[in-house]
Amino acid sequence: MDQLEKLKGVWQNQDESDIKYTKSDIFGMIQKKSSSVVKWILIVSIIEFILPNLIILFTDNSASEKLYDNYDLNGVMLFYTILYVIIIVGFIYYFYKNYKNISADNSVKDLLHSILLTRKTVKYYINTNLTLAAIIGLHVFYKVFNSSQFIDKLPENTNMVMVWTVAIAVFAFVLFIFWCIYKIVYGFFLRKLNRNYKELLKNDYC
Amino acid sequence: MTKELENKFAAELEKNQGIIHKVCRTYTNNDAAHKDLFQEITIQLWKAYPKFRGDSKFSTWMYRVSFNTAISLYRKSKRSIETTQIYDNLKELEYQDYDDSKDNQLKLLYKAIHSLNDIEKALALLYLEDKNYKEIANTLGISEVNARVKMNRTKTKLKNILNP
Repeated sequence: MDQLEKLKGVWQNQDESDIKYTKSDIFGMIQKKSSSVVKWILIVSIIEFILPNLIILFTDNSASEKLYDNYDLNGVMLFYTILYVIIIVGFIYYFYKNYKNISADNSVKDLLHSILLTRKTVKYYINTNLTLAAIIGLHVFYKVFNSSQFIDKLPENTNMVMVWTVAIAVFAFVLFIFWCIYKIVYGFFLRKLNRNYKELLKNDYC
Repeated sequence: MTKELENKFAAELEKNQGIIHKVCRTYTNNDAAHKDLFQEITIQLWKAYPKFRGDSKFSTWMYRVSFNTAISLYRKSKRSIETTQIYDNLKELEYQDYDDSKDNQLKLLYKAIHSLNDIEKALALLYLEDKNYKEIANTLGISEVNARVKMNRTKTKLKNILNP
């Protein structure tokens, strides 16, 4: 007989585990809180949804308000604010829908897929935020750099290409830092899940 | 109602806890981690229990939730990382020591299973439990063809580990 077939018998006749729980142990266990990865993903995602808004809310905005007044940007910023609110509401709805689909009695593949999809929603949200920030940034730079108020303050013969390059480089660096932080958090939770999902779907052509 | 459900659940789980212990022994390598994973599986089973309609056997449903917890949901707690004590001196056994005692065979089998990846561990356990390919494919959510391919690879890998 095949060695593994023999071991099957040994496996099935193995003694009960040294650890044995009674009904009251089980009652105790179900009172405790889960520490599953899904719970942490939910907590981190909520923080990621609200953190940018908290930062805006609790920082001193007088400088930027003055900037908008000076360069006639109030209308533009109102448009972007409305767009941002629509985006965030859409993402929160989509995130909630995916989160609700996570169920421990799905198949292993479906569970992995729904967790990864939930987390991906946050990835798209962050990407959209960073893209929107880049668009707003470029728009503001364009308005400011082309206004006479700004040009008048610059020394004569200032190379505008240099001004643009420096502004974009600094801005891109800040966005890059945000992106890196996100990637680290993302990898921390999902490395194992991504690995298992790939392993599971390897050779699956159906 | 909740109390009644709790009672029913605890009774079923007490009776079938062997399944969870096997999954825990497969996915962890010390007592502290074992207890930790058992606790998390129990919570996940309890959360999913109201939805359990009995379309499948309680044990089949338990396997599904237990694998999901071990493969996807469980994060090692600090407590289990810090503990280095290995089950029953498992690490001191070498494959060459292979003898006919059932106890030794079982220990070596567990040791071999521990060196598989998470998905292969599930396949090995389902194989040893004598589940058919339909059920294996269903539990994992993959096609039966893929389940067969993966099972053959896992079995070959296990044999190679057991006979170095």
